[in-house]
Amino acid sequence: MGWESWVISTFARALAYGTPLLLGTLGEIFAERSGVLNLGIEGMMIMGAYSAFVVTYTTGHPWLGILVAAVVGGAFSLIHAFATVTLKANQVVSGLALTMLGLGLSGVLGRSWVGLPLFTTLRNVTVPGLSAIPIIGPGLFTRQNLLVYITMLLVPILWYILFHTRIGITIRAVGEDPAAADSLGVNVDRVRYLCVVVGGVFAGIAGAYLSVAYRPAWTEGMTGGMGWIVIALTIFAFWNPVYGLLGSYLFAALYHLSYRLQTWVSPELLKAMPYVFAIIILIFVSRGTLQKRMGSPAALGVPYTRGEE
Amino acid sequence: MHKRIALVAVLAMVLIGGLVVVATAAEYVPGAPIKAGFIYIGPVGDYGWSHAHDVARQIVENEFPWLSTVYVETVGTGEVVSTVDKLVNDQHCNVIFTTSFDFMDGTVAAAAKYPDVIFAHNSGFKRAPNLATYMADFYQVYYLNGLAAGALTETNKLGYVGAVPIPEVKRHLNAFVIGALEVNPEATVDVRWINEWLNPAAAKEAAEALIADGCDVFAFTEDTPTVVQVAAENGFPSFAHYSPMYKFAPDYVVSGEMVHWDKIYADFLQKIYAGTYTAHNLQNVDYWWLLGQGSVEMAAEPGMAINPVYVDKLKAITIDHPTFGKISVYDLIETRLNQMSDPGITFDPYQGPIYDRKGNLQVAAGAWLSVDSLVSLEWAVKGVVGPWPGEP
Repeated sequence: MGWESWVISTFARALAYGTPLLLGTLGEIFAERSGVLNLGIEGMMIMGAYSAFVVTYTTGHPWLGILVAAVVGGAFSLIHAFATVTLKANQVVSGLALTMLGLGLSGVLGRSWVGLPLFTTLRNVTVPGLSAIPIIGPGLFTRQNLLVYITMLLVPILWYILFHTRIGITIRAVGEDPAAADSLGVNVDRVRYLCVVVGGVFAGIAGAYLSVAYRPAWTEGMTGGMGWIVIALTIFAFWNPVYGLLGSYLFAALYHLSYRLQTWVSPELLKAMPYVFAIIILIFVSRGTLQKRMGSPAALGVPYTRGEE
Repeated sequence: MHKRIALVAVLAMVLIGGLVVVATAAEYVPGAPIKAGFIYIGPVGDYGWSHAHDVARQIVENEFPWLSTVYVETVGTGEVVSTVDKLVNDQHCNVIFTTSFDFMDGTVAAAAKYPDVIFAHNSGFKRAPNLATYMADFYQVYYLNGLAAGALTETNKLGYVGAVPIPEVKRHLNAFVIGALEVNPEATVDVRWINEWLNPAAAKEAAEALIADGCDVFAFTEDTPTVVQVAAENGFPSFAHYSPMYKFAPDYVVSGEMVHWDKIYADFLQKIYAGTYTAHNLQNVDYWWLLGQGSVEMAAEPGMAINPVYVDKLKAITIDHPTFGKISVYDLIETRLNQMSDPGITFDPYQGPIYDRKGNLQVAAGAWLSVDSLVSLEWAVKGVVGPWPGEP
């Protein structure tokens, strides 16, 4: 049990624990790129976890559960879109309300689903061929479920859409200067609605990952604050899907190591480690000049009303 | 002028009178219906601690026609008194159960505020004339599970995912280690702390870390079946905690710790109903209920002490025991279970000589640890590997 075991377990756990964080972050990047801050990730995530569990448990099909979770997450985010885009409400307040609503609603609805074992879960796969590579094989291609790899593949696709397509330019324009975009004939409200819903869909899938793959069961409050990590990771990612992947896996690796290192370092200190890392990065990122350079959407958090400058 | 003073005086008296009425709930008269209020620290949907209390609440409510109950879940440590205010004034509860160690000081304050209401605090040690304490403790059961775990390990490394490092968890963990070492002196128990009572993701990553470190049998304290699921996914046996978890991994859950809080609730409420317990005589009422009282059970699910999958395996493993000579682990577990279940208990896991892992003698040869020492236990028994916050 030498250093190999450390590399392997760190890689493997970074993927397994990092995937729901990455999913949530990818969605939030789109919402924030269009100028809408959504602090309701935790609420949408847990609604996704709940609905995916219920559907998978009743039908026996985990992918159906994931699909329904995506729809539920998207539908749930419409509340935020309606409040902030149509009614121009404060985005922070609306997002927080969404989180509380999601946690409370799933708790009440989920009462009779507690303590039920789920056996039709998203199975772990071992990639033939690749898994035979020493260290990288067991680290990256052994005992992971398909959603892990799908999420990974989504990263370059979303990056391409955001930075190299017309749709991406439109989204970023709306987040930077909605008035200018509007004057060019872009329907600001529609773009923001769409991006918020994309965020909800991804958060829903992230929740589904938790309840039908990562730890197949329903427990009230089972997202355990992951939605908040996503908010931090979105900033860490400089609103870029590629850095989102980096940040999510890095955070997850640290989270794993915080348990493996316990024999040598105090558990309390280790427990704080991933969060301290997030805070340091946030402080670093939020220095004004860097923020400008790194692509914080200029109109983030500001409701847009035509003709108001 | 006099008239005005008189008016003010009358008003003041009415006001004070009103306040007194608010702060004093009527004292319970034996034989009258009881309304019991339960205050939980977690959600009833945790499938652990609070869930088990709520299952017990429903059992006693169905059992006694004179009993009605209400509960408040996810109550913060600082919200005990305000929650009690609502339960007493709005819900008219005459008995209040507070079910977390963290509620101790809040419960003491509430009991002083409502001297006519009967209180019972779970897992604490502060009492008052109207405040009893109660606990259904697992240390004997953890010891029994340890016997099986020590026999089943192939790497001689057992893994334990610990919630919060308080005396209760340490006492259970030590008992598990004592059992494991009794059948397998080569065994060690690796512990990882998550510093939370309910966090499936943390429990999962802690279990994965233990697996990466080579552990192959698992026990834990966390309020979800996560560790059981992770162990099974990797083909390792484990022991359920708090709620029936056999169905989560029928081939891998060897046994576990089940609680029956309803036994304590039923006894306490019946004694209030009969007038034995009042708001004036609870100063020395402390339930410390174990296997003998039936409030805890060694089981993978109620009634299944050892999973049939593991019965033959444990019967086939024979050890040379200092007291019983050649004996199978299965028989040893049964013998110890009987010794501890009998009304006149003839064995305790904390039977000396016991050394902590720093080499200090903690329990003298032949002696048993007192309840007070058990409740305040902080040391780690020899065989524990890993961090131990607050180690003396």
